[in-house]
Amino acid sequence: MPGLDFEARPPSQYAFDFPDSECEGWSTDRLTLRFASVRGAKHRYYRQPRQDAARAAVHEATGSIVFAVADGVSSAAESHQGAVEACRAAVERILHQLDRNPERLDSTDVAAFAAERLRELARWRLGAPAPQAAEVARLYATTLVAGAVRTAGDALEAELFRIGDSGAWLLDRAGGGYHPLFGGKAAPGEPLVSNEVSPLPLVPAQPETAVGRLTEPWTLLVGTDGFGDPLGEGDGRVGELFARQLAVPPPPLWLGHVLDFTRETFDDDRTLLAIWPRTEGHR
Amino acid sequence: MAETKGVLLPAYVVADESGSMAPYQRELGDGVASLCEGLRAEPMVAAKLRLAVLGFSDDVQVRLAVADMRTETTVPRLVIRGVTNYRAVFEDLLQRIPGDVKWLRGEGYRVHRPVVFLLSDGQPTDGSSWHAPHAELTDRDRTPTAPNIIACGLGDARAQTMVDVATRPEFAFLAKSGTDIGRAISEFFHSLTMSLVASGHALNSANPQLVVNRPDQFTMAIDEVGR
Repeated sequence: MPGLDFEARPPSQYAFDFPDSECEGWSTDRLTLRFASVRGAKHRYYRQPRQDAARAAVHEATGSIVFAVADGVSSAAESHQGAVEACRAAVERILHQLDRNPERLDSTDVAAFAAERLRELARWRLGAPAPQAAEVARLYATTLVAGAVRTAGDALEAELFRIGDSGAWLLDRAGGGYHPLFGGKAAPGEPLVSNEVSPLPLVPAQPETAVGRLTEPWTLLVGTDGFGDPLGEGDGRVGELFARQLAVPPPPLWLGHVLDFTRETFDDDRTLLAIWPRTEGHR
Repeated sequence: MAETKGVLLPAYVVADESGSMAPYQRELGDGVASLCEGLRAEPMVAAKLRLAVLGFSDDVQVRLAVADMRTETTVPRLVIRGVTNYRAVFEDLLQRIPGDVKWLRGEGYRVHRPVVFLLSDGQPTDGSSWHAPHAELTDRDRTPTAPNIIACGLGDARAQTMVDVATRPEFAFLAKSGTDIGRAISEFFHSLTMSLVASGHALNSANPQLVVNRPDQFTMAIDEVGR
């Protein structure tokens, strides 16, 4: 019986390539990146793989950081694979776009490219030349937040988009507040949370986008709802914990440890990616 | 400090207690007990649900007020009595559900759209007087906390009535002709437990959705309409 603490059970045998936890961390001259992704208690108990994923890369010509975070839809049979592939495809496509035009991202193109990757997987998996969108979704449906932090002269600019309900925030490290970059699950004044989510492979005509300057003392956070739900408005204990832990970039393994906190009812996979501007003193 | 405690699914089991259910009182009691045990066996799921059990006939009586089944120690008991008044059901839910949602939000939870599982073995004895409160209850503009309603009919219940009560045609079920009603009641509670467990898994995920399993011994009522 799952309690506060129990030993994680293995995922099903063919999910061996999706480890329980993963983390990443490095810095460029101007930016520091960390991310961690941990399997939630529900998946650890019910022998399912982590269905969250994150990937990040540096665009070497410009020094921009390109990133993607995805949350596989639990009802999709291979959503753990869908999440990773959506991240890979998004990062690849944004790197390609930055090669051609470092000024602005084409979010619809990135989303369509990621959706096509899921279709290719479904073609291979089903042995069908043209799988229907519903068949692709049944196998690989996933949310996606992707984007880049670019250098624009002396300034740093974050540009990102999302498909589905994963979130992004700017953390004010001086005041401890979280400024959401996308809308929440409950519209203001609405008594119920919304269940209206349209994940990949569905590509909206215009994905929800956000742009913002990344200056001191702000840190860009991108997270799945496994992080966003317990964070809420950011004014509770979870918000306080992460504001404290992210005051300076923590070791990647430590970020994974902190992200693996236990809180009743919050048993989903959790992924958090953070990007800090580097100050002179930290370079 | 506003602490976020989680996202809950309020679930209401509304069971017909009218006189015609008297032969099946044991199955009703066993079904409710198995539902409670089934949720206690899944504490991670039960943590995200709040269950209420209501009995209806002439009026609605609370057999279990919105409860956390991990800690609830009593098993609600249904009491056979009176007629089958649907108006009483929908008028009660029209008051009860917004109040419960407000209370849960006040406790620091966010709330999914509530779900009602209605089990009835007969046609409403109040004619069409239930249509108005039902329409108000299920209109998301007039009642922002409007629930999803799953309707299961047994015995004399008609397919069209179940389709009219349910909020989507695929949420209406009718016991197959000739089915043992006691067994159908057991299957209703079994399927209800499975639906709540599956919904508990699916609701706090990237694509939250209500999962409704068709009970064995039941058909989709929409398939029976017009036969």
